[in-house]
Amino acid sequence: MLNETTLDRLRRVSPYAALLIPVLAYVVPVATESPFLARQVTLIAIMAMVVVGLNITYGYAGEFALGQAAFYAVGAYITGVLAVNGHNEMLLTLPLSALGAALCGLISGIPGLRLGGWSLAMVSFFLVLLIPDIADITREWTGGFDGLPGIPLMVVAGTEVDSNGYLLVVLIVATLVFAAARNLVKSRIGASLLVLKQSPVLARSLGISVYRSKLLAYVIGAVPAGIAGCLFSYLDGYIAPESFGFSVSVGFLAASILGGSQSIYGSLIGAALLQLGPLRSTAFQEYSLVVYGVFLIIGGIFFSGGITGIGGALIRRVRARFSPSPSTAPRAPARASVSSTEARRTAVTDKASGETLVIRNVTKAFGAITAVNDVSIEAPAGKVTAIIGANGSGKTTLLNLISGFYRPTSGEIILGKTKLSTLTAHRIARSGVARTFQTPTIPAGLTAADVVATARLADVRVGVLSTILRLPKFHRVRREDRRAALEVLETVGLSHVANQPASSLPLGTRRLLEVARALARRPRLVLLDEPASGLDRDALLELANAIRRIREAGVTVILVEHNFSLVLDLADTIHVLRRGVKIASGTPDEIRTNAEVLESYVGTAVKS
Amino acid sequence: MTDEVLRLEDVSAGYDDLRALWDINLSVRSGEITVLLGPNGAGKTTLLSTIAGLLRTYSGKILFEGRDVTTLQAHTRARLGLGLVQENKRIFRRRTVEENLMIGGFWRYRRRRDLRAAIEAEYDRFPILRERRDKPAGTLSGGEQQMLAISQVVLAKPRVLMLDEPSAGLAPEIVRRVFSAVAALRDSGMAIILVEQVVHGPLEIADTIGVLDLGRLVLFKAKRDIEDISEIERLYFGEAGATSLRESNQS
Amino acid sequence: MNTIFAALSTGAIYVIVAVAYNLVFAATGVFNFAQAQFVMLGTFVAYVGLVTFELPWVLVIVIGALIGALVGFLEERLAIRPLQGLGFHGELVTTLGVAVLLSGVAIVIWGTDPRPVGFGAHTILTLAGGRVFPAEIALIAIGIAVAVGAHLISSRTLFGITNLAASEDRVAARLRGVNVLRLSVIAFALAGAICVGVGPFVAAKTAATPNLGDILAIKGFVALAIGGFGSHKGALIGGLVAGLAEAFTARFLGSTYQNLAVFVLLLVVLLTRPNGLFGEREQRVV
Repeated sequence: MLNETTLDRLRRVSPYAALLIPVLAYVVPVATESPFLARQVTLIAIMAMVVVGLNITYGYAGEFALGQAAFYAVGAYITGVLAVNGHNEMLLTLPLSALGAALCGLISGIPGLRLGGWSLAMVSFFLVLLIPDIADITREWTGGFDGLPGIPLMVVAGTEVDSNGYLLVVLIVATLVFAAARNLVKSRIGASLLVLKQSPVLARSLGISVYRSKLLAYVIGAVPAGIAGCLFSYLDGYIAPESFGFSVSVGFLAASILGGSQSIYGSLIGAALLQLGPLRSTAFQEYSLVVYGVFLIIGGIFFSGGITGIGGALIRRVRARFSPSPSTAPRAPARASVSSTEARRTAVTDKASGETLVIRNVTKAFGAITAVNDVSIEAPAGKVTAIIGANGSGKTTLLNLISGFYRPTSGEIILGKTKLSTLTAHRIARSGVARTFQTPTIPAGLTAADVVATARLADVRVGVLSTILRLPKFHRVRREDRRAALEVLETVGLSHVANQPASSLPLGTRRLLEVARALARRPRLVLLDEPASGLDRDALLELANAIRRIREAGVTVILVEHNFSLVLDLADTIHVLRRGVKIASGTPDEIRTNAEVLESYVGTAVKS
Repeated sequence: MTDEVLRLEDVSAGYDDLRALWDINLSVRSGEITVLLGPNGAGKTTLLSTIAGLLRTYSGKILFEGRDVTTLQAHTRARLGLGLVQENKRIFRRRTVEENLMIGGFWRYRRRRDLRAAIEAEYDRFPILRERRDKPAGTLSGGEQQMLAISQVVLAKPRVLMLDEPSAGLAPEIVRRVFSAVAALRDSGMAIILVEQVVHGPLEIADTIGVLDLGRLVLFKAKRDIEDISEIERLYFGEAGATSLRESNQS
Repeated sequence: MNTIFAALSTGAIYVIVAVAYNLVFAATGVFNFAQAQFVMLGTFVAYVGLVTFELPWVLVIVIGALIGALVGFLEERLAIRPLQGLGFHGELVTTLGVAVLLSGVAIVIWGTDPRPVGFGAHTILTLAGGRVFPAEIALIAIGIAVAVGAHLISSRTLFGITNLAASEDRVAARLRGVNVLRLSVIAFALAGAICVGVGPFVAAKTAATPNLGDILAIKGFVALAIGGFGSHKGALIGGLVAGLAEAFTARFLGSTYQNLAVFVLLLVVLLTRPNGLFGEREQRVV
């Protein structure tokens, strides 16, 4: 329940200061020769590892999953069975347990993610409930309901390990797991998970495959649980199905919410609170479910949304209420880049290049309503092609057809040599199409520069391993990401907000940020979806400038817009739609004086 | 003699993270059509949603027939007589035309017989709906869906009828039919708020005209008090657009 | 034939849970993870009513239904209503919380051991070549009646039609004067009443067991996955299919494999036809 800023402050002290925790956790129990303390520390470390995995899946990727106990069990049994049968080397059992858990994640994740919402939770929960049955089926190896006794002491690199050694091993492994988790979420992979959680539509428009990314997050989240299970089976030398039941699963979720699901260190806090709390004493054991239940209800209402929970919603509402009106908002001082309407060319604008977009005889029907009727448009590179029309004219549908969120009923859409109309949205994005949205879609928890950097997620890849181990490739890509982001921000005049949290910026700035993000994709084609809506005069000027920059870069620009004067100002060619049909095309001067166009905007016959 | 049915006093409203309306003051009378114009993003839909009760106000009061409804739920306001026809023809696509009309009037007509009669009256108003009564509403054409959306609300005999861009995407003949149906409703004593993007059609039937820009009501006058239509065009199209209109009028 | 009766009566319980899921889902858009715990609660109400107090079974059913309605009402008020319209899916956590709470309360009061409820256990009927308990026949009849009844009410009555409208477009329904909040409460209370009310029949088959709700929650979900979310017809078929898969697996491979069989069935359905038999395909809209 600690909010982000408190943890941010803690984190700023130094990530290395956090190493003090495992050191103390080892030294204190050993020095005081307290087996009880050592056991508590071990249990907390083990639980925290399981919860960290859940935080990655649930807190970051937004996938509600209940299967951690199953992965935990798989890890424990793999290690237990191997150890009992003479393969007791921890350097062998640990990776195998991790692998087993990951496999389990795949088995439950692939079908579970097919249907949204509850299906992943249910499939993973089913796994947990199947543990006793599976244990029974494999009872020759696992001991069935009676459990598996006689797990020998842990052996590391050939040496048997005593109880202090075991504690040391647990703490080292836990520290490594936490470091890996932290490295994972504080990276572009973490950013991509936040994008996924914010909006699958945004993710697709950035070229991210939603299904695959969610599956990856889920499987990654399973691995620490498997590792924790391995360590657990050495704890008492005995494991049984009861240790992996429903209430254990629920406990993990409770710990995640308690510590803050979107926080890596929060899992440690949650695990500690749950482990050390009153539930541990046997008198309260039988009440544990009742307490968990009440906690989950309260926690779910107030905390499961994190900063977007009830408390957060209230805060945002208060902030919104007192925000200044766009028409009377004071101009922000010291925005040196705003007033200049001179060409500001940067390296970015030199590198992009566009291709001609051909929309040929495209029709889209929804039942009996034909939203787009046999429309053909050609948009050349390096030009702004505007599509205008009243609401209901089909212009938004056309944009969604180009970006792949709808399929045409007939006709085709071709960019350069690529046929877009048969591709899915994220493949279209990958072939060099970027778009903005009428309501700016900006993930919470990222700075403006981070948001722009997400544009490069699909085009430049860094593997999970590189990210976790912080290999040179990771650092190189991160520097490139940052450099590219800053460059684009300068191009659109937003350098001054680069390090500010993006989602709390004013509307005009967020619109520009979306344009910047689109530009950062080095696209062949940019689709702008009514970017002027709700902007005041200053913001409109900045927007127009930004669009000009994109045009200069040689990119093909499609501008769907309702603001007539902006369109007259910026467009090279204007196409007018009315009720799904193209009624006019021409230069701004031609359209300006076209009576039919004005009539479609203005209604029935123009009266003088 | 027309009386005031709806009044907004210093209303400010918006969404959870985005404020959209500032200090709205307006008054609507029965037997009159109030037309609200404005570009996209100006807050027209937000205003109607706020009056209907879908959005909570940040501040200000909404008075309906003298009664403060600011804190009432949307369904309560509907049952008091505030009807909203949303944009994009939001009818229940999976239900039949007849079922849609039943849903429109279920709370008002306790007796099956009265509900039947009211539905028949709507079929008289828009006969095409009678032909399609058993078809799922999603299979109707755009114009038919708009007529159904209006009938669904009008069935319950609201005191204030609000329409959000009813002409969007419709053929001119159908738009004419819609506007003349709206004018007829006005003549029968209903107070009407008509939000539109196109300018001249609504202006013909308007009694009062308002223009929204960036969340503020920058104009709100009786039509007879407006000297020059270009006042509106300038607000609406920006300078360049207003100039073009003038030029094309003269050519 | 014995197997078929066992399968259908087990399946009928899944049908009831699935229909209850649908009722709540249609009215609120929430999947109530705690729904199956109501059935568990019902078995304990049956235990207390029939075994401890030896009340007539009709009375026990009525009392159960009232308790179910009350608990459902409380759940809606305390765990669902505060979250409506907030966008993020906190109900995932709170309904789980209610499930855990109900389960925990049962354990505290009655402990973890199952308590048998002999409801017509002394009579064994012979029908169509198979032997079956009256409670099992009753379950099959109730399951079918509940599913068919729910289907008819939702598609034929005005109440049902307004409910369907509210589940299709909640905002538009509010504007048409539909009190969606009241529909929400009614759905929860009704689903609760049904699930607790059938307690005596379920208890006769499964005994009053505190962890009944866990596995039942999943299998009810499987019924929905097979039949399609939102469809009562689908719930009927899905529940019976799940029951058949389970019973025949138990017969031929042993009871250890029966849950596994249902799991495999779930995986197959999700991989091949995720929307189920009668589920609605959603149009992806930007």
